[in-house]
Amino acid sequence: MTTIEPILEGRRSQPDQLIEVLQDVQKICGYIPQDAMKTVARELGVPLMEVYRVANFYKAFTLKPRGKNVITICTGTACHVRGSDLLIDQVKGQLNIEPGDTTKDGLITVECVNCLGACALAPIVVQNESYLDHMSPAKLRKIIDHAKGKKKKEASDAQVQS
Amino acid sequence: MIQTVTLTIDGVPVKAAKGASVLDAALEVGICIPHLCHVPFLQDTGACRICIVENVKNGSSRVTTSCTLTVQEGMNIQTNSEKIRKLRRNLAELLVAQAPNSKAIQDIAVRCGVKEVRYPFRNENCVQCGRCVRYCTEMWKANALGFVGRGKNRRVEFPFATRPDFCKNCGSCTLYCPMSITPCGGPMKRGEEHLCGKCESQAVTAPNIIGACTRCELGKGFSCTRHML
Repeated sequence: MTTIEPILEGRRSQPDQLIEVLQDVQKICGYIPQDAMKTVARELGVPLMEVYRVANFYKAFTLKPRGKNVITICTGTACHVRGSDLLIDQVKGQLNIEPGDTTKDGLITVECVNCLGACALAPIVVQNESYLDHMSPAKLRKIIDHAKGKKKKEASDAQVQS
Repeated sequence: MIQTVTLTIDGVPVKAAKGASVLDAALEVGICIPHLCHVPFLQDTGACRICIVENVKNGSSRVTTSCTLTVQEGMNIQTNSEKIRKLRRNLAELLVAQAPNSKAIQDIAVRCGVKEVRYPFRNENCVQCGRCVRYCTEMWKANALGFVGRGKNRRVEFPFATRPDFCKNCGSCTLYCPMSITPCGGPMKRGEEHLCGKCESQAVTAPNIIGACTRCELGKGFSCTRHML
């Protein structure tokens, strides 16, 4: 792994830097690959088990590759009352994936969280760090179509170029 | 020279080395506190909660696990009060419900006086006592096993769920696992789980003989400290 070398710079043999290093790996790779975990364990002097345990423990770390678009649906109390399960049904029906999974083409990842702390805007959905308030299944469908449509457009652009 | 402190366990004055746990001090003088996750020479985590005792202080008492409680001068410990027996029975009941397919756990249930199990049986393969993890980490320094996940998804696992090449194949994880000995009647199938309770005659009814460890046969299944030393 050459890409994570700059992260480890100046942090080698410092076990207390584990979480910071993993956060940076997550930022660069989008997820935490197995090889990266092995490298981090070796370079920081932490047992591999410890790295694996920490990466598994915190929800901020994902061990599976994530899609280009990450759609996060809030399932907190306020969002649930105002119909977040309808949004989940919409996603399931439209993309054929369960929350926590990524579509096969690697475009969209759907996740659920328990509360985003914006209950006045319920039900709330986060798409790539932008907060979309008062969502409905119809609005969500458009967003997903848009995210999917980008791919078709890019593909057709690529065909034109070639 | 080893510094000692004097404490009272079940009304008996006991001398113990400074820094020792109450469980060790009690077992040293032959007072039996039932325990499951405690392994001699390993760090105690208080995972199974079976070894709870009452720490009486200024007339009020606190219930804590004795394996993580360090001895202090003038402590007053009750290992076998009515309250503790009731709590411990309930804990043992929960353990049996979680994993009935273990002689060690069935033995502990008998030892703690469980007569019936009021909880639905889960028939899991693990009670998360952490004996395997601690032995692997502390004794062998192999770090091949560990707890992964959290909450109800917490489980013992190898890194990346495959046996790593730095595993020393010592087999201690199986040896120290309370699940490695099945009940005498063989493994119970799903839907047939029950409390064994056949060894009840071997248990010393604790209320009669206060705080006595008779080196009962019940400890063998989980290598009770009295059998190992």
